[in-house]
Amino acid sequence: MVTVNDTLVKVTMTGGLTKEEIALYDRQIRLWGMDTQLRLRSFKLLLINVGGIGTEIVKNLVLGGLHSIELLDDSKVKEEDYSSQFFLPKEEKAIGEVKLPLIVESIKELNLRVELTINIKSLDQLLADSPEYFSEFNLVIGTELTKQQMIKLNDICRGNQVPVYFTGLHGLFGYIFTDLIQHEATCEWDTGNQQRKPGTQLNHVKQIIKIELGGNGKELVTIKDNFNKISDIFHSKQLPHQLNNRQLKRLSGALPIIFALLEIERPENPESILAHNDLKGKALDICKALNIPSSIITDEYVELFTRNAFTEFSPVAAIIGGCLAQDVIQMISKKESPINNVLILDSIKSEMPIYAL
Amino acid sequence: MGRETYLKKIYGEEAYKNLKSKTILMVGAGGIGCELIKDLMLSGYSSIHIVDLDTITLSNLNRQFLFRQKDIDQSKSKTICEAVQSFNYFDCKLTSQHGNIMDTKQFPISWWRQFDMIYNALDNLEARRFVNQMCLFLGKPLIESGTTGYQGQVQPIFPYLSECFECQAKVTPKTFPVCTIRSTPSQPVHCITWAKDFLFVQLFDDSTAATGSELSHVTNQDSQDNDELETLKKELSELQGLRNLFESGNKELASILVEDIFVKDIARLLRIDALWKLRAKPIPLEYNKEDLEKLLMDNKSLEILSNDTQMWSVVENVYVLYKSLQALQDRYKVDPKIPISFDKDDEDTLNFVVSSANLRSHVFGIEIKSKFDIKQIAGNIIPAIATTNSIISGFSSLAGIRAQIGDKIDISKHLTTYISIKPNKYITSASLVPPNHKCASCSLVRKGIARCSIGTTKLSQLLQLVCKRYGYVEDATSIIIGKSKLVYDMDFDDNLETSLEDLGVFNGQVILIQDDDDNLENLELLIEDKKGEAILPNIQLRKKTTIITAEPGGLNDINDDHLKTVESENGDTMIVIDEDDESEIEEMTIDTDGVHAISSKNGDGKVDESFLDDVIEIEDLDDYGPATKKQRLH
Repeated sequence: MVTVNDTLVKVTMTGGLTKEEIALYDRQIRLWGMDTQLRLRSFKLLLINVGGIGTEIVKNLVLGGLHSIELLDDSKVKEEDYSSQFFLPKEEKAIGEVKLPLIVESIKELNLRVELTINIKSLDQLLADSPEYFSEFNLVIGTELTKQQMIKLNDICRGNQVPVYFTGLHGLFGYIFTDLIQHEATCEWDTGNQQRKPGTQLNHVKQIIKIELGGNGKELVTIKDNFNKISDIFHSKQLPHQLNNRQLKRLSGALPIIFALLEIERPENPESILAHNDLKGKALDICKALNIPSSIITDEYVELFTRNAFTEFSPVAAIIGGCLAQDVIQMISKKESPINNVLILDSIKSEMPIYAL
Repeated sequence: MGRETYLKKIYGEEAYKNLKSKTILMVGAGGIGCELIKDLMLSGYSSIHIVDLDTITLSNLNRQFLFRQKDIDQSKSKTICEAVQSFNYFDCKLTSQHGNIMDTKQFPISWWRQFDMIYNALDNLEARRFVNQMCLFLGKPLIESGTTGYQGQVQPIFPYLSECFECQAKVTPKTFPVCTIRSTPSQPVHCITWAKDFLFVQLFDDSTAATGSELSHVTNQDSQDNDELETLKKELSELQGLRNLFESGNKELASILVEDIFVKDIARLLRIDALWKLRAKPIPLEYNKEDLEKLLMDNKSLEILSNDTQMWSVVENVYVLYKSLQALQDRYKVDPKIPISFDKDDEDTLNFVVSSANLRSHVFGIEIKSKFDIKQIAGNIIPAIATTNSIISGFSSLAGIRAQIGDKIDISKHLTTYISIKPNKYITSASLVPPNHKCASCSLVRKGIARCSIGTTKLSQLLQLVCKRYGYVEDATSIIIGKSKLVYDMDFDDNLETSLEDLGVFNGQVILIQDDDDNLENLELLIEDKKGEAILPNIQLRKKTTIITAEPGGLNDINDDHLKTVESENGDTMIVIDEDDESEIEEMTIDTDGVHAISSKNGDGKVDESFLDDVIEIEDLDDYGPATKKQRLH
């Protein structure tokens, strides 16, 4: 609570927000300050695919008060979309129709201040023909993309200095990959017993670059994050350096299996269950590529994933969607160091580790 | 049906069918509630009851995504029930009730019985405690959750198997010494407390709080200084005079009040030398009276009142004080019976508190604050955002689903989860632990529901029944109704032939059965008035000796020498549990699900850093979390 008040005192640039905005956003301004709210208000976002997780992300960010969000999705409504996509109209007749026009008005209602637009072009076509399209945005979030799409999109965006978040769900599991290229955040931390020093590496991608004195026993610590390309994470050899043997041994199989699922095409039939051995084989290959013990690929986990793969589940969409939207807001606020660069949700173990790959 | 394809794949057919047969209750339809109801409905529950007593306000709309501008002032429970119909894809049966969950008339014990599990989505300690107690009586699982800003936590509670909500002490709000508030403030919060809890109450609030207010009774326990005591007493009688002026509608009230409170009282305090030996002296209020006149003459000045985020100058604060006093006086004139009490959303009362707090700050050389900031402190506003609620609701629904389709007996398979954002993780989870054996709610006493007809059941019958059923000895038992009404013990058998009703027992009343020999644990029976044969709860009472020697629950048993405080890389203070036997630690960490707080001491006495990322830190969840979260490992 003290932190919050202190932040508020420092912010004097309130001119930009109207009284109505201050009243509406009251509870969040008290957390992240007027300056962050102003930054949000000028931020342009592209969200690709509005499935279960896309639904959660757009809900959170429209509520947060971004300047504009464009939704890009050419998919048609499928029956199984009704498991977690809560903006869909209830009527059966929606099935087979293009999704975005059916949901956009309900999303707008959440916060009329946010400019919401839809685009029903194909992502692959845009990637191939109009790469400049992606440079119009301050940030691109891709949900449920294929590995090829992620790599292509990341390449295009890197070229234009546009950061990306990629995310997806597999039933009880989910992931977030981030490439914000480079990011600096100035965090307000309590002054500790031990003096912090500029130059300290928090891990191999996060470094303290500046320390200033704040008020009330606080320090302003500036952290610089360097990000790797998304294509590099799939064969990164970093894990054995980040984890000790104990941690490596009890690593959740979710990480390599989620990577393995990027090598498998999403089945046409939502009821089909993946072949156990095929998935296991691919997961073992990933373990080799990442230099992590193959013993973490248990039959129990492979079995779980054969059923959970490519399914959507509302509580997990809410967790990952909440976590991603919050990281986006903190990235925009520049007051917290963001997720760098692979987050895995394993709701069996109730873990959300973050690996720097 | 194709819509359920994913749910069936994720749960398995059997478990899904099982889940669909459950009836659950969600208490609270606010920040967590809006998110949680969505997750619960889309997880496949087929019958959900919702209770909330609140109405919707503008500041809810930044996160409570089921509410719109047009819903402001409407009932939350009713609105949420209508709003979710748009995505009621699995034909979930929703029942909503507008009311206070603690109202035993609206929600009698028979109503509670219908639920298989309860989800809390509450924002206050009192209701949380109440629901926790109900779940202990009912023996039904409770999924407790709470958020503050970026922080949040989910705790599943299995009565008598795992810690209940009361097993760990909760943070109590900070209080200040009376004299700091009344004569020697040094921070804005002291002046805000003075304005809201003292000045405001003395002038306007007619309730008992006004006369009984701690701040108005200064005794020599509060101050050794007789001069100070005298001065403070004088102030109080002066305030009575101001109150009379207020009630009589005197037009000069504002100018007299400013003169009395910010000039004369301060001058009087200044005469007490002892107070200012080590402190900066206050300066009686001075401001330009012509500037005030100008402001008062100009209608445009009214804009100041809604200028929430800028600091008001001294004369502007005086102006706001004048205006708010006038508005409150007008309200009193229209109807003196309508009580005036402080409410952060009542502009007149807020303006009075802001301006008088700021003028006092100015007098004492303390920084002036904006109305926006003072509102947060005076109104106890806890920042709240959609994303944290979304994450915590997700974990809350998962914890409940696990409780419904998982192993209820082995509580170590169930986890409590906190948000704790670090470079290498986003959350921390820990296995549930058995109840704290000192917990007054679930360990020192066992709870259950007894059904009987209070009109026909005599005390003697109840006594015989409980003795026969649980093993109490008749002449070593006492029976207490409610909090303290003793109706039976070995020397007091006058009431045995009286019916429970005639002894004052009503439907929903709690009766305490106590073993005077201290053999068996005490029993609290919640009486459900129902015709027919008496039915006692099917529970096994433990011997008191076994409770004391049982596996310790909370951390109370860990010797403080074994706790080490260390600094994490981002400066959070963490408690590390320093176990003696390293091999045991290895075993514990590898075998457990989730992450657990463990550290070990190397031979040289240094804390082994490699364990640090698995440590649970202390978090300060206002109104929710334990005072210090020293999580016990297995």
